[in-house]
Amino acid sequence: MSLFSSLRHRLRAIVSRGQVERDSAEELRFHVDMATRRHEESGLPLGEARRRALAEFGGVAVAAEGVRDERGTRLFEDLKQDTRHAIRQLARSPAFTLVAVLTLALGMGATTAIFSVVDGVLLRPPVLQDADRLVVLWETDRQSGTTREPASWPDYLDYTREARTLKATAAVVGGDVSLTTDEGEPIRASVMAATWGFLDLMGVKPILGRAPAADEDRPGSSLVVMLGERLWRNRFAADPGMLGKTVRLNDEAYTVIGVVPAGIDFGLDQIYARAAYHGPWLGTGDVDAWVSAGQTVGNVPRNSHPAFMLARLADGTSLAAARTELEGLSAGLERAFPENANRGVFMESLMDVTLGPVRPVLMVLLVAVALLLLVACVNVANLLLARGARRLREVAVRVALGAGLGRLARQFMVETVLLTAVGALAGFGLAQFALRALLALAPADIPRLAEVGLDGRVLGVTVLVAVLVGLVFGLVPTLQSFRVDVMSQIKGDTPLAGRPAHTLRNGLVIAELALSVMLVLSAGLLVRSFLNLMSVDPGFRTSGILKAAWLLPPTRYPRDFQRFPNWEPQHRFTNAVIAGAGAIPGVTSVGVAGTHPLDPGFTNSWSIVGREEESRTFPEISVRVVTPGYFKTLGLVTTGGRVFEETDATDAAAVAVINRTAAERFFKNQDPIGQQISWWGIPRRIVGVVQDERIHGLTEAAPPAAYAAYAQAPMQTGVLFVHTEGDPFAVAGQVREAIRTADRQLAVYGVEPLESTLVASVGQRRFAMLVMAVFGVTTLVLALIGIYGVLSYATAQRTREIGIRAALGASRERVVGLVVRQGATMTLAGLALGVAGAFAGSKLLAGLLFGVGRLDGPTYLMVSVAVLGASLLAMWIPAWRAARIAPVEALRRE
Amino acid sequence: MPADRSDVLQGTLDLLILQVLAHEPDHGWGLTLKLEQHSDGVLLVNQGSLYPALERLTRTGAIRNEWRVTENNRRARYYLLTPAGRRRLAVERAAWRRASAAVNAILSLAGEAP
Repeated sequence: MSLFSSLRHRLRAIVSRGQVERDSAEELRFHVDMATRRHEESGLPLGEARRRALAEFGGVAVAAEGVRDERGTRLFEDLKQDTRHAIRQLARSPAFTLVAVLTLALGMGATTAIFSVVDGVLLRPPVLQDADRLVVLWETDRQSGTTREPASWPDYLDYTREARTLKATAAVVGGDVSLTTDEGEPIRASVMAATWGFLDLMGVKPILGRAPAADEDRPGSSLVVMLGERLWRNRFAADPGMLGKTVRLNDEAYTVIGVVPAGIDFGLDQIYARAAYHGPWLGTGDVDAWVSAGQTVGNVPRNSHPAFMLARLADGTSLAAARTELEGLSAGLERAFPENANRGVFMESLMDVTLGPVRPVLMVLLVAVALLLLVACVNVANLLLARGARRLREVAVRVALGAGLGRLARQFMVETVLLTAVGALAGFGLAQFALRALLALAPADIPRLAEVGLDGRVLGVTVLVAVLVGLVFGLVPTLQSFRVDVMSQIKGDTPLAGRPAHTLRNGLVIAELALSVMLVLSAGLLVRSFLNLMSVDPGFRTSGILKAAWLLPPTRYPRDFQRFPNWEPQHRFTNAVIAGAGAIPGVTSVGVAGTHPLDPGFTNSWSIVGREEESRTFPEISVRVVTPGYFKTLGLVTTGGRVFEETDATDAAAVAVINRTAAERFFKNQDPIGQQISWWGIPRRIVGVVQDERIHGLTEAAPPAAYAAYAQAPMQTGVLFVHTEGDPFAVAGQVREAIRTADRQLAVYGVEPLESTLVASVGQRRFAMLVMAVFGVTTLVLALIGIYGVLSYATAQRTREIGIRAALGASRERVVGLVVRQGATMTLAGLALGVAGAFAGSKLLAGLLFGVGRLDGPTYLMVSVAVLGASLLAMWIPAWRAARIAPVEALRRE
Repeated sequence: MPADRSDVLQGTLDLLILQVLAHEPDHGWGLTLKLEQHSDGVLLVNQGSLYPALERLTRTGAIRNEWRVTENNRRARYYLLTPAGRRRLAVERAAWRRASAAVNAILSLAGEAP
């Protein structure tokens, strides 16, 4: 009870402070007046009565102070006063305050933003249960040397039945469909066909409805679909009434039986990205809908491999033990079935598959940002040190006047905490902005990017860092003030150059410079890598081309393998699109391909007619299906023979074109033109050889590839390429319209200039480069501020000395030389350390470099020169100021 | 200043204030007069030292105050004992009796009148 009333009392004293003080003053006044009157009544004159009353009272101010002490708000009052004083002090040196706050904001803001990304992508556990027990079961092909291939359905069933070390399994097959409902345009939806146990395997419950049952996962069972959370929210406004409704996927009616939470498709994009080949799956983004795998691929024979297998390790089993068992099982299958010749299994943890590729980049980022924070903290510490040195005199005077060292320490603490708090606030704002920029720039194939946000955890970490930084920095001026020699400060006998303080400050600046050099060097290497990458000739024209993609639904475009390649609907559609697009003004050529240039597409085993024995040792060849216009549109250079023409029609002789790699590898001693190669059981005559296209992306050499004419090998997927004279994006609308005219119900997607696709493909590298460059420049600027600060402070300190030297006849150049020499020493030391550090740490970067060695001479040289030049600039102002010091002014005590 | 007084005297002052207020509410000046009159001027070194004590007692909830008008039509702050204060008074009185009895006992050991 006494605690409560005491609290209330204190609160009132804080809230109505003015009134409380006035009451106290009035009360004391009353007492003294009454005492005075008593003395008056006993005969004393007014003046004497009052004097005696005051004497008896014992000091009104003292009593008032005593009352204030007892009020229990002393600490609070003192802190308020300290804060006001701190604000005044900080406002008095605006340059210092601004630079310190900005530096802190930069450091903390960057740290918060990067940590948010790393937390959201790497650290936060995925929505799956015990995700570290999930594995991907790839199949391998010893003959082609691939280790990450999809599996066949019968294999999946066999493994599921036989494996003891696996608790549960599931298979997934990805695909794209046109999704239509009763209203609205058809949209392209990414669909994953999964086995009925998939939700259980992942340990996830549906948000709405239920998972499919076992008997809904067989060929011929009723068509059911589960919607992905994001599609449900975006397209269907999270309507619970969707349960039981019908949606059409590729014109077939499916009943909605439930909704699955976002995040359940963790890793599936990455599985597709890392697979050696796969069916049509455009990846990147959430899975929109889930259907039954059993229905989709349940009848597919053992020699076809559409499905990816996932499994959960049995309790207590290790990955190694499971691997051993599975390898044994696959050997058994190989013995039992000729279709499984040379096929094995490879088990990999799902976490590794998903996060493995992205971990190095994020770790590099984390290290970089930690360095940035370090540099920022060092800078602020330096600034505080310099400022503390300037205020030594003030501190000395206050100590002489009786200020307790504890009180002084508390005041410095308040000042630095205030500084840090403002910096942290600004930093948080900066972090919001930086995070948005990061997410905009980041490549789409970083997993879980959608889940990244500034959340409580991150805020907590930032606050913690801010508090630590504030407390540590608070010590800096405090410790300084403890060492103050009061008398000499007041007398003004400043030592000519305090040795220990100098060393500390110089050391800090050198460290800063070294750190920033490391970052700038890394950035330089990454920039060069990126430039190298961008200058790689992809083998096809990239500018001025718009692409658009579609997927023909099998309901209206049946895949009748008896009549292949006479697929009337597909040819009708494709020709209509080509004609329509070709008619658009400004379009110079049009082509259609089964897949777009940077999509590896599929590979096939093949043979050269007449060299079948030898062909068995050939690796699989990449196959591309294209219309005649493709070659001209993409600017592929013909190095021999001819490319497809209109005469290579559906009923004409089957032809093929191969790329130069294939020609050089397999036709070393003969002219490929005229030879026949065969795949899918159809022999085709080679009519030409073209330059390589970098099918697997800019960083990898082109594989051997063969082209088939679309008229002779139609596909369900298609990509239209339109070459225009002007900006390709300008014709986007007309291109869409041309496609829609050919088929109003078809979903069109991926409409973008080919350049964007190319840039997106190097997304990760570009991202790392941009971020590193920003970091490098920021830290360099901070380091330069550090140099400037230290030098200008040193100059100010040595004003007297410089004045004396000037008075004794030292020329201006010599004085400037003094300053520059000090600065140059620091710079060279920092540069040397930084280069050494970059040397050592460049291993981290190895995975991101392209065409540039770790120890690339030109880069190191360029960066060193740039840094030297920049620090010369930073030195210039203090040096110039030093030279202008007039001896008379300097010798006069300021 | 309260900090300079010995703990004994500070605690005693609190006890005395509570006792005086137990009879009737009064303002600081009135308390001063009563303490002077009833103790022959022994107790208050400085009159001003009353006020920090009053503040302390208010903060801990033993007394409360309100502004009233005196007979001379002046505004003054009157202090009243709270129920908690009454309990505290009883406790302090008992403690004082015990303490003074002990002190007296020791002093009389030496054979002198305490």
